[in-house]
Amino acid sequence: MTETARDIQPVELLINGIPVRAEPQMTIVEAAWAGGVPRVTGVGCLEGVCGSCRILVRRGKEVNVALGCETFVEPGMEALFLPAPGTDRHQYQLTDLSDGWDIQARFHEIFPEASRCRHCHGCVKSCPKDISVEEGVALAAAGHYREAGEAFLECVMCELCDSACPENIAPAHVGLFSRRITAFFHLRPPNLIHKLEEIRKEQADKKEQP
Amino acid sequence: MKRGLSLQAALAAYRPDAELAPVPELDDPDTLLNSYHPDHLRGSMTKLTIGPNAGADCQRELADLLQAEAFIDEADLAGAQVTDTDVLVVGGGGAGCAAALAAAERGARVLLVTKLRLGDSNTVMAEGGIQAAIEPGDTAQQHMQDTLRAGHHAGDPALVAAMVGDGPEVIRWLIHQGMQFDQTASGDLHTRRAGGMTAPRIVHCRDYTGLEMMRVLREAVKQHRGIEVWDQSPVVELLSNERGQKCVGAVLGSLTDGSMRIVRTRSVILATGGLGRLHLNGFPTSNHIGATGDGLVLAYRMGARLCELDSFQYHPTGLVHPPHLYGKLVTEGVRAAGALLLNAHGQRFVDELQPRDIVSAAIIRECREGRGIHTDTGGVGVWLDTPRLERSQPGMLQQQFPKLLARTHHVGIDPRLEPILVHPTLHYQNGGVVIDVNGATSVPGLYAAGEVAGGIHGRNRIMGNALLDIIGFGRRAGIAAAAAEHDRGPKKITLEHVNRARRDLTLAGLPLTQRAPRILPAYTAAGKDIWKP
Ligand SMILES: Cc1cc2nc3c(=O)[nH]c(=O)nc-3n(C[C@H](O)[C@H](O)[C@H](O)COP(=O)(O)OP(=O)(O)OC[C@H]3O[C@@H](n4cnc5c(N)ncnc54)[C@H](O)[C@@H]3O)c2cc1C
Ligand code: SF4
Ligand code: SF4
Ligand code: FES
Repeated sequence: MTETARDIQPVELLINGIPVRAEPQMTIVEAAWAGGVPRVTGVGCLEGVCGSCRILVRRGKEVNVALGCETFVEPGMEALFLPAPGTDRHQYQLTDLSDGWDIQARFHEIFPEASRCRHCHGCVKSCPKDISVEEGVALAAAGHYREAGEAFLECVMCELCDSACPENIAPAHVGLFSRRITAFFHLRPPNLIHKLEEIRKEQADKKEQP
Repeated sequence: MKRGLSLQAALAAYRPDAELAPVPELDDPDTLLNSYHPDHLRGSMTKLTIGPNAGADCQRELADLLQAEAFIDEADLAGAQVTDTDVLVVGGGGAGCAAALAAAERGARVLLVTKLRLGDSNTVMAEGGIQAAIEPGDTAQQHMQDTLRAGHHAGDPALVAAMVGDGPEVIRWLIHQGMQFDQTASGDLHTRRAGGMTAPRIVHCRDYTGLEMMRVLREAVKQHRGIEVWDQSPVVELLSNERGQKCVGAVLGSLTDGSMRIVRTRSVILATGGLGRLHLNGFPTSNHIGATGDGLVLAYRMGARLCELDSFQYHPTGLVHPPHLYGKLVTEGVRAAGALLLNAHGQRFVDELQPRDIVSAAIIRECREGRGIHTDTGGVGVWLDTPRLERSQPGMLQQQFPKLLARTHHVGIDPRLEPILVHPTLHYQNGGVVIDVNGATSVPGLYAAGEVAGGIHGRNRIMGNALLDIIGFGRRAGIAAAAAEHDRGPKKITLEHVNRARRDLTLAGLPLTQRAPRILPAYTAAGKDIWKP
């Protein structure tokens, strides 16, 4: 919050191949809109939590992926909005996993690639939320779903890690699977259960006395 | 507006350990609201002249959209591809996903269409948590009283009773979908108490409650074999039967190629969320980019009754700085955890846990009377004193509000060291489409759930009730829509309701130049030339 002298030189950059003159301090999304770049609709929250504004950024020779609502314009930068990812191939329904004892076997059936991580760090490098994706995948593959899920707490489902993974592990979905089964099998809060039981009894009593 | 201190001067004068005088008594909340709440701004209200709410008060910019021409006419329907489904869900936020899952669980074929990507919504941004009366000392009755009182007794008691009664079961259902919540050391769900509540009742997942909810529901919807999802496909108009009295489908416009598609169905569930991006009265907003009030416009033209169109929630703590996050939210959870509000002179000026309308009005009063803090980009606000909170409970901000820290981290602002500059931001649509306990609107075949629906929160909503409302009523609407009777005989799909609205506009002497729904704000490049590929 210390910079007082605001730079008023416009910043020139390329967005989706279109030359744009933007104000400094603008994000890529703001610059795309102000510059009239058409069809930039892969945008939602504008605060880095919905994961839809996926962009590829080129600064000189360096290429990265990022979120367009959190990336600020820089002179000479090239930004390209990426299309939304398609539906993931790893399909499962929680209700089909009724028995927690075979969960590791089921996990490897659903995500057969998860044990084939080649530790290339592609996922970690592409994650805009600094999540230890690779470690999370390893924890899940070893059956430590609670810890794996915890690593993905701040995951915004941009699926940039999925796109980066050469083994098609779908790390984002591994993380979400880990979080979901942790709740599905293990979250049994006494205060909630007590209240549900109280309500059930009340309703049963009501039925008995017409 | 009288000018207060500059950001630099106020920051230099700020001390996290300064002694504070007690808050001055609030003698008359009504006078405060009447003088400073944006709903009471002079010239911001008008009366509707056409439609089922003719004669009722309505915010002026919203009225212009409710009394506008449709995007399309019969010519656009010719040649459009037609798809049939049992239930059409419009909107990919929490309410839409809950409705789709509930309808699909009951065996209906469901098509969910959404404007942006599935999950791009207000739901994903929710931070603070969701209410449910689950603590031993708490009851559904208490939850109901708190909700009605905070809503100035304008809410429909039958709807409120349904919502609070659903509370504990909604939390169980969410856990069953795989949603996590924070727990205490003994495994209970951790609860918080926020403004307007008589008991701790907010359950949450750190300050990522909406993100956790949306991630899980999005995955559940995508994984469900009975639900098909179309992204980037906003509804631009509904379809009616030949008499314009029943909803039988919708017209979608593609954001990717501008083409139109028709969906024929036995029931339509509107779950399009709120309208913050209309920037009513020139306010910034906490809402996502698709929150343009489309559902209200579509329902009204179809003949559905709306309510409380003159009442909106301005959340007290929208960010003023840094500029790219202007209007974005700081969750009320931070105040619930003990953070105070201070004016430019470092004085408290309101009980921070009063209902949101009161706190917002008080902040606006401070700013207007010269006790605000001004940025050099034209913003004004007051301090949310996070460093003091951190001093009293070291480590708590990181532990309980990681999103708050993460969001400003990359621009070098640390709320543990600097107080946060905040000002009220347009946050929530209190009213909406009138529904019954099954989510049915006054038009047969048309249901509404979530922020687009009204009648629950009266004229002011308390924290955590929106997330409860969207899941509770989303599921109720999904169940009812799936059970709706099939229409027998050939189904005629028409734009009769559009023709009726056009006749009404002409008779009332209103212009036919403005078109609605808005779909995207005009400041997005796509919003400028929508449907002109
Ligand atoms: C920053 C923020 C924080 C919040 N925090 C809390 C909180 O802590 N607790 C709480 O209870 N509430 C909170 N709220 C309020 C709550 O999140 C919302 O009211 C609620 O999530 C709305 O859910 P919804 O499903 O009705 O709408 P949304 O989640 O907004 O979903 C609407 C969906 O409809 C789509 N749509 C819109 N128009 C069309 C169209 N024409 N055609 C097709 N699709 C369309 C949108 O793209 C979107 O997918 C918060 C809100 C915000 C903005
Ligand atoms: S873990 Fe993957 S999906 Fe999640 S935020 Fe990181 S890159 Fe995006
Ligand atoms: S990108 Fe895939 S293979 Fe590479 S480290 Fe990550 S999970 Fe492993
Ligand atoms: S718009 Fe949601 S993450 Fe960028």
